[in-house]
Amino acid sequence: MTPMAFLRRPSHERALSAALILIVVLMAALNWPRFLTEGNAISMAYQLPIVAFLSLGMMVTMVTGGINLAIIATANFTGIVTVLILRALAGEAADSAGAGVALVAMAGGLAAAMAVGALMGWLIAYVEVPAILATLAFMTLLNGVNLVITRGYTLSGFPEFLIAIGNGTVGPVPIPFLILVAAVILLGVFLRRAQTGLSFYLVGSNPVAATYSNIRVRRVLVRTYVLSSAFAALTAFIMMGQLNSVKANYAESYLLVSVLACFLGGVDPFGGAGTLAGMVLSVVILQVVSTGVNLLRMDPFFIQAMWGFIILALVALSFAGDRLRERRRLRAARILRAAPPSAASPGPKPAAAITPGERP
Amino acid sequence: MPKDLLRHNETWLVLLIVVIGAGIAAANPAFLSFENLGGLLKSYSMVGIMAVGVLVVLILSGSPDVSFTAIAQVVEYGIAVATLAWGGNIFLALLAAGAAGAILGAANGAVVHYFRVPTIIVTIATFNVYFGMLYVITKGKLINVVHPMFREFGNTLLFAQTSAIGGRYGLSLMPLVWLAAALLGWFLLRRTLLGRSIYAIGGNEVAAERMGMNLLRTRLFAFGFIGLLSGVAAVVHLSIVQSVVPNIIVGKELEVIAAVVLGGASVFGGKGSVLGAVLGVLLFAVLGNGLTLLGISTYWYNVAIGVVITVAITNSAYQRLRRERARVHVKVEA
Repeated sequence: MTPMAFLRRPSHERALSAALILIVVLMAALNWPRFLTEGNAISMAYQLPIVAFLSLGMMVTMVTGGINLAIIATANFTGIVTVLILRALAGEAADSAGAGVALVAMAGGLAAAMAVGALMGWLIAYVEVPAILATLAFMTLLNGVNLVITRGYTLSGFPEFLIAIGNGTVGPVPIPFLILVAAVILLGVFLRRAQTGLSFYLVGSNPVAATYSNIRVRRVLVRTYVLSSAFAALTAFIMMGQLNSVKANYAESYLLVSVLACFLGGVDPFGGAGTLAGMVLSVVILQVVSTGVNLLRMDPFFIQAMWGFIILALVALSFAGDRLRERRRLRAARILRAAPPSAASPGPKPAAAITPGERP
Repeated sequence: MPKDLLRHNETWLVLLIVVIGAGIAAANPAFLSFENLGGLLKSYSMVGIMAVGVLVVLILSGSPDVSFTAIAQVVEYGIAVATLAWGGNIFLALLAAGAAGAILGAANGAVVHYFRVPTIIVTIATFNVYFGMLYVITKGKLINVVHPMFREFGNTLLFAQTSAIGGRYGLSLMPLVWLAAALLGWFLLRRTLLGRSIYAIGGNEVAAERMGMNLLRTRLFAFGFIGLLSGVAAVVHLSIVQSVVPNIIVGKELEVIAAVVLGGASVFGGKGSVLGAVLGVLLFAVLGNGLTLLGISTYWYNVAIGVVITVAITNSAYQRLRRERARVHVKVEA
């Protein structure tokens, strides 16, 4: 889409961009001059990746019409498995282990996460357990396993390499942010160009039609949950680096935040629609709001209440927008009926040309 | 007849509870004692009451309400403060708590109806609003002293007996409140027009509306009902613990939903029974209690629950799959 077309045509991404600009201006004005500083930008770039990765992992399952409630539990499970492998390989000297050992441990953690994803995907695709149930069950199960392994204790002491993934910088830019940028680009290419990525949308919008289009729906679904769990694993590595510890129940409150991010980003909870651009805008908006409000030294619980109000406001706004568009369409249809278009006058444009990945 | 029975999810649950219960009783006979079972029913009555409400909303909208724990938390705090200030008696407290909960719940219903948004999205939002505002207003202060009527209500025992070491035990009033909530839920769902429209709307919204069922009224009622039961559950909880910690109830929502789903309620809406929801909670109760009695570390509780949920949902999905495959497909040309 050309920039001019983007500005002229109403879309969810256009509304989100406008909202982002408004919120940045508002936060900058409220926190003058602390908000628009290099230091603040860098701290936001540190914090953004965790919520962003979780939300992207949530998004891919929602696009296929599912949900992954086990995403946080999977992340914590990945962290714990990684630590166990690390300790098995390096023993007491886990915190001074080399990059090779760390990489092996991370590969093990990633494999464990993907195995969890494959198992959930198999239940959802082949046994036809509803996604919300299968992932809820795995959430409970993994939380239990995490607790049994760690006995509720915090495990810490990681090699330099892992710490660098969470805390390191290249120039002024934090490494986790660079990983996020790379992952977003890869996911973008995957969703737009790869066969499996494109099938996510088809499976989500109409599984029956997808089956008749020679798409192996079940296999696509399994891949969705494997991919989602891989994002959980990425989150885990960054959290390990930033907190230098793993625990059975880190980041549990992010579960509902990631669902909220998808909703804000325009992902249809019934599947088939949702763009990566919308998701990126949505997580950036969430980060700007939470950083801005933090700088104002507001009660964190007020911030929590505010999230709720924001969703409700959004719901109301999108409803009002729908009503407005509906009314306009009806009026256009009436004009059309009163004066049928001749070959010379093209008449109003068709109301909605649906392209894949966009809200109908 | 037996074949018919085996088709019901409830039969399987009863069997599962009996088998697990028998196993626990074999290892530790104390499980079957009046003292243990009474305590077990008492401590799970809050979850049980909430489960009836969760069931009603799940049947109606095919998407779970997650805000009910926040509602219960707000009502618990509010009722503790109000009774300290104005006194009153336990019936008034139950009434006021139920009414306050019903209003907070019905607000969810109004948003779901007017803005046509999935229940889970709306209730995530209101969960944050209710719980966040509770902390903002109260500053998260604990209440250590509550009105004595809650202790009286919570400690009243029917068939009271004295144990060997001098403690009193018996049947608490709390499970009776649970029973009342379950009976009310059953009556509403199975014996009233409102209940039938809840099933109908959950099964097929468009068809139900064309039949002349009132979507707004039904939604307001169902969401008000879960709010009402959350308020009652809050009073029950307050009577048991006799203090208020403002984040003690929240965080239980997925466990309650899991119990209801275990009881056979469909996550697509339109299906589910009160008996199933009660049995689902009982299964959790027996599992949790059994682990304690067997001397297994409580760390294993979530693993046990997780395994049971996974097996149960896999089994019911598999049964459905088999039935569908066995069905003869007749193609009718239009």
